Amino acid sequence: MDDLAEPGDTTAPVLGDGGPAGRAVVAGGTAAGPPPGVDGGLAGGRAAAGAGAAGRAGGGRRVAGRAAGRARGRSRVRRNQGLAAWGFALPFVLLFATFVALPVLSSFFFSFTDLRSSDLRHPFAVNFTGLRNYSRLLSDDVFRQAALNTVYFVGVGVPLTMCLALAIAVALNSGVNRLRTFFRVGYYLPVVTSIVAIAVLWRFILEPTAGLLNQLLGLVGVTGPNWVGSKVWAMPSIIAMATWRNVGFLMVIFLAGLQAIPAQLYEAADVDGASGWSRFRFVTLPMLRPTLLFGAVITGIGYLQFFEEPFVLTQGKPLNKTLSVSYDIYNQFGFGNYGYAAAMSYVLFAAIVLLTLLQFRLLGRRVDEPASGRR
Amino acid sequence: MNQRTRVVALLCVAGVMLSGCGRSSGGSGGEQAKGVAGGAATGTITVWAMGTEGEKLSVLAKDFEATNPGVTVKITPVPWDAAHDKIATAIAGHQTPDVSLIGTTWMGEFARAGALDPTPDVIDKAQFFPGAWDTTAVDGTSYGVPWYVETRLIYYRKDLAQQAGVRPPTSWADLTAFAAGLQQKAKARWGMYLQPGGQGSWQTFLPFAWQNGAALTDDANKNFTLDSPEMAKALDYYRSFFTSGVAPKDLAQGQLEQGFINGTIGSFISGPWHLGILKDQGGASFLDKVGLAQMPKEKAGTSFVGGGDLVVFKDTKNRDSAWKFVQYLSKPETQVKWYQTVSDLPAVKSSWNDQTLKADPMLSEFGQQLNDAKSPPTVSTWEQVASVIDGEVEKAAQGGETGAGGAKAMQQKASQIGTGA
Repeated sequence: MDDLAEPGDTTAPVLGDGGPAGRAVVAGGTAAGPPPGVDGGLAGGRAAAGAGAAGRAGGGRRVAGRAAGRARGRSRVRRNQGLAAWGFALPFVLLFATFVALPVLSSFFFSFTDLRSSDLRHPFAVNFTGLRNYSRLLSDDVFRQAALNTVYFVGVGVPLTMCLALAIAVALNSGVNRLRTFFRVGYYLPVVTSIVAIAVLWRFILEPTAGLLNQLLGLVGVTGPNWVGSKVWAMPSIIAMATWRNVGFLMVIFLAGLQAIPAQLYEAADVDGASGWSRFRFVTLPMLRPTLLFGAVITGIGYLQFFEEPFVLTQGKPLNKTLSVSYDIYNQFGFGNYGYAAAMSYVLFAAIVLLTLLQFRLLGRRVDEPASGRR
Repeated sequence: MNQRTRVVALLCVAGVMLSGCGRSSGGSGGEQAKGVAGGAATGTITVWAMGTEGEKLSVLAKDFEATNPGVTVKITPVPWDAAHDKIATAIAGHQTPDVSLIGTTWMGEFARAGALDPTPDVIDKAQFFPGAWDTTAVDGTSYGVPWYVETRLIYYRKDLAQQAGVRPPTSWADLTAFAAGLQQKAKARWGMYLQPGGQGSWQTFLPFAWQNGAALTDDANKNFTLDSPEMAKALDYYRSFFTSGVAPKDLAQGQLEQGFINGTIGSFISGPWHLGILKDQGGASFLDKVGLAQMPKEKAGTSFVGGGDLVVFKDTKNRDSAWKFVQYLSKPETQVKWYQTVSDLPAVKSSWNDQTLKADPMLSEFGQQLNDAKSPPTVSTWEQVASVIDGEVEKAAQGGETGAGGAKAMQQKASQIGTGA
């Protein structure tokens, strides 16, 4: 580990360790991927792997190697093996086609029609309306409000949840030793609790006159607002509830990520005389980047589709200030506007894809990338 | 298949699908009902019913089976929350039961989907409350039978009214003075509770619009007519309770009953179920303090009528027996027995002459109001338009919008949604 002792450069441990780790990944890739140039001879091997009998691999190769004139027989074997493979895959393919592919494709198709619940008996006797559902969305006040609310929720909620979860994870990882399990269970408990119970609990907390929060505020002489009934405070209340509910899950993920960081990196940083903040900034954060990316993507996807929190706590009130896009879609399905609701769903889907791409751009750089860049 | 044949095949499939599209013109209007054969009911009748009705319907089914020995009635209780979607799915899959209870506001949607069998003339239209019968009529044809009804009245604290020296209101001006009196003279924190928006507040607001003579749609139920001076004035009137501080702009869930029992809320508008709730929470003796008043008269004293309808689906395989079961459920004596079983108010007028209902002065108030009670138009988009009205009521109650602006916004949004015709 002598190459780590470059005084003053706290990123050195990372670079030093990134080398071997990166090599290992490359080596693994070589072992797993098909070696170039051996492809022709591999036909039998591939099929044998499909059938799950390693002993037949040699046989396959013998067939291939015996005579070039028997190419026709080889292709029959290959076809039979292909058929067998499809036979094995058929149950899954059928289920997937019926319950996933077909509904997804038909919902996409119906998002271009004016399908309504009164068309249920003759779903194809609807008018094809082109992009009208999508253009109507742009002028739909309620949808625009819902989209704004969702941006607000994601924009505040995701960073808040991630920072909080990271802070708790770091604290549990380094500071707290005695009651670690207790805290871990405590923070994870909301994740496994039913949303209905959570809603009841939060209603007690946020109740305007007798609620816990306003009673506490009353002790210090502040008159709290009617949290879920207020145009200003309803959304922050929802965000607080969602954060409280989801922070435990992320914390566990981050904790696992933290424990995977080799201790010698911190030792090296100590030798370099790095302060606590520098250790966090230059060792913990870079090493945790893949975990952070995972957390951001999972939380982003979940938060863009937030639905349960307003559903149980506010029903979108007041004045649609807590209506989310998912909730609006749910309402439109309830109203029987299936075509319109399908179009809304695809807009939400596009938003999720975009956000995820953005997160991959921002957080997705590999740990050893700057290293190779600087060498 | 090479690339080009693939593209061509795909285009063909798309073409076939698109040419299969397109709505056939002409709705379900003016459909003729077929007759029902005489004799006893036979075979199996499957019935879906929600809530308490679903749990207790077997009581009536047993009687029906006793008088029709060849019949079996199979009842499936369905929770209200899931009912709409379950029925919609059943219609799409042609897997409907023979008979189902459905919410009155779903009639337009399911009838226009062509899923419901028109009511045969073995059912006598005249025996039902007219407002309740109207919930079954879609485009001039009736597609079901009102099973039970509910309507809204003014609940008030008799002791507080006495203390304030106010009498039950008979006009809009009266109602304003009544609520203000309860607040100022009887020291109730709120004179009256009216729904300040949120789901279902249209049911509290629309009676005021009807009382002022507003019509929601034109005669053919084709276009909405929400932007009228009558509607605007009604919304302004509704709003006045909030701007004057007589009614609370927000009240946390469950505080209405407690507030009414401890005297901080002087009155509210609600349906018959509140009798049971108040009895549970305030004790049986509390009901002595509760007064019920008819809706105030402006141009009319109209209230809202809701409830449940019974329908027979077109996909039924046992149509005649299904209608016989429905006919049995709407007999006056069956309706009285049903009231005794689950406290559902009879939709049949003559049942109200039975001593069981007549002897109860509070119930009689509901019975009287039912003679002047309306239901929303049976258009297939009603639930969505109702949510628009909820939204505008909320805006008006929170103080942001005048009656004229609210009525205009309702009309604009409702005409965008359309009546589905």
